[in-house]
Amino acid sequence: MLQLASVTKVYPNGVHALERFSAEIQLGEIIAIIGGSGCGKSTLLRAVAGLDRASAGTVTLDGETITAPHAKVGIIFQEPRLLPWLTVADNIGFGLSELPAAERRERVAKALARVGLADKAKVWPRELSGGQAQRVAIARALVAQPEVLLLDEPFSALDAFTRKDLQDHLLDLWADTRPTLVLVTHDVEEAVVLADRVLVMRPHPGRLFEEITINLSRPRDRNAPLFEQFKRHVLTALDRSLDRTVPDMQGRRDAGGGLWW
Amino acid sequence: MNAIVTPCILARDTVLTMTMTVELQAPAAAATPQTGRAAWLTRLARPLLGLLLPLSLALGWELLVWAGWSNGRLVPPPSKVFTTIAELARSGELTRHIVATLSRVGIGFGFGVAAGTLLGGICGYWGLARRLVDPTIQALRAIPSIAWVPLFILWLGIFETSKVALIAVGVFFPVYLGLTGAILSVDRKIVEVGRIFRLSGPAMIRRILLPAVLPAYVVSLRVGLGLGWMFVVAAEFMGASEGLGYLLIDGQQLGKPAQIVAAIVIFAIIGKATDWLLEIATAPLLRWQDSFARQSGAA
Repeated sequence: MLQLASVTKVYPNGVHALERFSAEIQLGEIIAIIGGSGCGKSTLLRAVAGLDRASAGTVTLDGETITAPHAKVGIIFQEPRLLPWLTVADNIGFGLSELPAAERRERVAKALARVGLADKAKVWPRELSGGQAQRVAIARALVAQPEVLLLDEPFSALDAFTRKDLQDHLLDLWADTRPTLVLVTHDVEEAVVLADRVLVMRPHPGRLFEEITINLSRPRDRNAPLFEQFKRHVLTALDRSLDRTVPDMQGRRDAGGGLWW
Repeated sequence: MNAIVTPCILARDTVLTMTMTVELQAPAAAATPQTGRAAWLTRLARPLLGLLLPLSLALGWELLVWAGWSNGRLVPPPSKVFTTIAELARSGELTRHIVATLSRVGIGFGFGVAAGTLLGGICGYWGLARRLVDPTIQALRAIPSIAWVPLFILWLGIFETSKVALIAVGVFFPVYLGLTGAILSVDRKIVEVGRIFRLSGPAMIRRILLPAVLPAYVVSLRVGLGLGWMFVVAAEFMGASEGLGYLLIDGQQLGKPAQIVAAIVIFAIIGKATDWLLEIATAPLLRWQDSFARQSGAA
């Protein structure tokens, strides 16, 4: 279980990026975090990844406090961030250097086939399209068999068709080992397609505004009326989150003595 | 003049050709617009185009002198330059001078690269060292390196040591600057990939920083080598009894312009050849680069 307890981040320039953010995420859950710019979505993800330390509060995974990158936590960024001097296969095997070569090769080959790029093993990253490169990044993260996979707007740089394709593909891959997914996005449809729960955040400072559970079975039909309804629900929450006169969930919870959860 | 331009073009084309053979391993490069004979002819014709201007200039000058419109005493015609080179070669003088100059450049380059790499690496990686050392190095860099000559002669004597030291100083600065700059500009996003996979300090250097700085480092080595060749001339002006720089001075003092031009031509050929060797030696390490040269080489 991934636990975030009052995670707060104040940058040295005095910006309150994140204020007392708490959440509990079960193993295998898919969580989407959505919100306007400056609401601390990425800050939150970087704290969970162990890339940045929180100013206050703790992130724990199965009872273990995360202060630095953790073997069980993987991350996929907005850009593929492939190492240009390694072939596609070597990029995927980058985190497996401690395994014996034969086992590494086998796992890399399997991961490549799983993302449908078996024929690209010996290709340089520069020869890949944006969607292919992001698939390699997904394979690189998944081949390490993480318990928690963080995704920071992973598909936002791709065209609409590729994005939809990769969203479906991600769900497909998730079904193999069912890791916890925490996805930061600014795309409402993406959140509703993928997530069990959508956490809506509000900016200045970044706080939790509302939590919406998506009770839809998978695979989800993007054109179903119920799907539309959830989308509208999230959109309305997003709109209200930018309205400063509406109290947020955290405020309400604070008023209620922390009994919200 | 002709021979100065010639090797330069030849060398570049050889590199492009080599690049293409490397590229052929990738499936994407297999589809070139021209195939077979036509492509081969174009590849051959391109350097010949560059030879046109220098060759016709040389030929023109040769004809002018031959027709008696100029006596060619101060600007010797190409034929005379080649005769001079041939004579020097036959007497074994040429080899002696080339070996002397090459070994000076080689040793000076080696020391310069070693010092530049060591200090550049430390100052690039370690902020405290950079703040301590870099301002001094930058101040030293502002001194025209030739200004060290008198001091080096006093300190190290008139023979080899002072010459090698001067060359090493010339090579040091571009290598140092290139390496610190390259380390400082390594993409933070790529470094984060290393952090996510929990690389230790040495592993981070070996698996992320080194490959990331390599392209800029190779460029700085080539700039350094170019400066090494510049400084060997200055070094050999200060009292050498052999070397290509000595041939220049000797030609001036005895009024032999053909010998001066011959030495210049040989400088150009060897300088370009060493640069080309360096480029070939490092090319396998940089195969992954998506460079302009590569694209135009394949087109």
